[in-house]
Amino acid sequence: MNILRIARKELLIQFRNKQTFTFMIAFPIVLILILGTALSSAFSSNISVSDLKLLYKENVQNQQLEASWQDFSQILQKEGVQLTKWEEGTDGQQAVMDGQYTAYAELNDDGIHYYGSSQQTIENNIIQGMLSVYADRYNLASAALKANPASVQTIMASVDSFGSFIKETSLNKEKQPGAIDYYAIAMSTMIALYASMSSSSLIQSERNRKTSIRLSASPATKGQIFAGKVIGATLINFVCVLVVVLFSALAFRADWGTHYVAVGLVLLTEVALAVSFGLLCGYLFKDGSGRAFLVIVIQVVSFLGGAYFPTDDATGIFKNIVLISPLRWANHALNDIIYSDRAAAALPVIGLNVALVALFLIISGLFMRRREAI
Amino acid sequence: MNVLEIHELTRKFGDFVAVDNMNLKVREGEIFGFLGPNGAGKSTTINMISSLLRITKGEILLLGKNITKHSRFAKMNIGIVPQDLAIYEEMTAYENIYFFAGLYGLRGNELKERTAEALEFVGLSDRAKELPKNFSGGMKRRLNIACAIAHKPKLIIMDEPTVGIDPQSRNYILNSVRKLNEMGSTIIYTSHYMEEVEEICSRIAIVDHGKLIAEGTKEQLKSSITDTKDIWISYKSEQPLDTERIRQIPGVTQVLDDEQEQLLRVWSKAEINNLNLILQQLIQNQVEIRSVDEKAATLETVFLTLTGRNLRD
Repeated sequence: MNILRIARKELLIQFRNKQTFTFMIAFPIVLILILGTALSSAFSSNISVSDLKLLYKENVQNQQLEASWQDFSQILQKEGVQLTKWEEGTDGQQAVMDGQYTAYAELNDDGIHYYGSSQQTIENNIIQGMLSVYADRYNLASAALKANPASVQTIMASVDSFGSFIKETSLNKEKQPGAIDYYAIAMSTMIALYASMSSSSLIQSERNRKTSIRLSASPATKGQIFAGKVIGATLINFVCVLVVVLFSALAFRADWGTHYVAVGLVLLTEVALAVSFGLLCGYLFKDGSGRAFLVIVIQVVSFLGGAYFPTDDATGIFKNIVLISPLRWANHALNDIIYSDRAAAALPVIGLNVALVALFLIISGLFMRRREAI
Repeated sequence: MNVLEIHELTRKFGDFVAVDNMNLKVREGEIFGFLGPNGAGKSTTINMISSLLRITKGEILLLGKNITKHSRFAKMNIGIVPQDLAIYEEMTAYENIYFFAGLYGLRGNELKERTAEALEFVGLSDRAKELPKNFSGGMKRRLNIACAIAHKPKLIIMDEPTVGIDPQSRNYILNSVRKLNEMGSTIIYTSHYMEEVEEICSRIAIVDHGKLIAEGTKEQLKSSITDTKDIWISYKSEQPLDTERIRQIPGVTQVLDDEQEQLLRVWSKAEINNLNLILQQLIQNQVEIRSVDEKAATLETVFLTLTGRNLRD
């Protein structure tokens, strides 16, 4: 019962602490808004493609090859490629380099020579993709022309079906986070880590207020005081994180998926991890230096965990370093739960968080036991 | 019946002995004054009684039970009013008392009633729903007391409960202490204000260097120093007095010079007639004597004689 009383007292005090509330709620909401808006383009899978312009020089003697090219040109035009015939005096490669055309193709009886723009890579790749299938046949027909001219017609007969050779396939998942979605998750998990700041002075604050004298002189045991304060701090910080989650969902339309329990448990254990780590730092560091230490740790962990920008594509040693960030564990799990519809992704991170919470609390408990009062 | 018994109580911090083989008994219904200069071991003793510090050696019995073995019983029967305000500024007066009283196992209506009684007792009923940050120093002190008495402890320890408050609040608190005592609580009272102790305490103990050096009623303590006379000399001088020379006069035990008030107090052995030598010393130093008075022994005289220090030093 005393545990609940102390936890309730903790909630009451923190609820009335406007500074904590402002920081824990307003700060992440503002960051979601700023980062989500400013970096929205970085999360978009839409790419604008400019005009596809192909300059071609036709120097074909074989009528069958020429006819097949004419047919294929029409298909290209239907697909939106602007074809321009080479004129005397034009340097095709230079025209591509100058950006006048996306690509330049030279056709003759020996095959097709293709020069693509290195500036318009996407557009170039599109044209190159279209041409490559045709070019394979064309080059084959060119080779056949020398050995068996009659076979050219057979090879180029199905040129009408080239249009269906280009099949559009998306590599993106059907559901993926936009900037607001990403930062709603990242800021919620980051603010959960900030619970460690207030928790570093969880016991010290009672000593500063001198209420530690009353608590220690009361029949409440050290264990009850310890448990009550940890539960209270965890709950109040979890409430703050939930407010941020709800606000982002309702006001910014951030996607939190449908597995609310799994998402909630990941966030709860993340808060508990931060509280227990903060508590331990409160015992390890004297005179408030624990807070300074935690500010640095949180910033580093947030950076590595992708709070400010995604670190999924990290390479080299950085790729391994980012793995130590609890923020990354949580963010990955939440992304899996929300965007891959995999509620089970919560289990490893919950397990890891709970194990660390137990470890930190045991060590903090040992520190507390060594003290005469709390 | 003794509410509290302390037997050979010792507390060490490393090599430093803060409390040294102390023996003490506090009877039921007493207001027991516990005096000592700073660092005498007073707070350490109180902290051991309140279970805030472990005992190195000896034992403390509360209502006949060893407080180390019966920790919960001891805590249930002790109320502590710390020298520093020990309240939550973010919680109302009512919530503060309700919370602390709840830790003593009170529940439901009983808890509400006791909280209301404690508020009534300290005269804060009409401010129950206000936050202490809006209170005056005296009101905060009263709330500090209320948080310690709602569970109706047998023994209340009050550590400097009147520090830093106005005379009106001080009177209120002193009357409250008397009332609590009349209602059946035994009180251990510490203060730097000798007049308070003299006014309300029925028995007094003086500790110094971790040891109990005197114990008894104020009359008993005063009579224990009948061999000391307390001479008050009012003077006028532009120069600071050379108190060292006066201290060297045969029979003089203590000299205290209040330069602001221009009042010199000299404690001396009663059987030695040295007043002439003292005055002569002052006159030689061009000090103008205005009046000379020999006072009856006070508790302050007792304290000064026994500890060699003023209580407020």
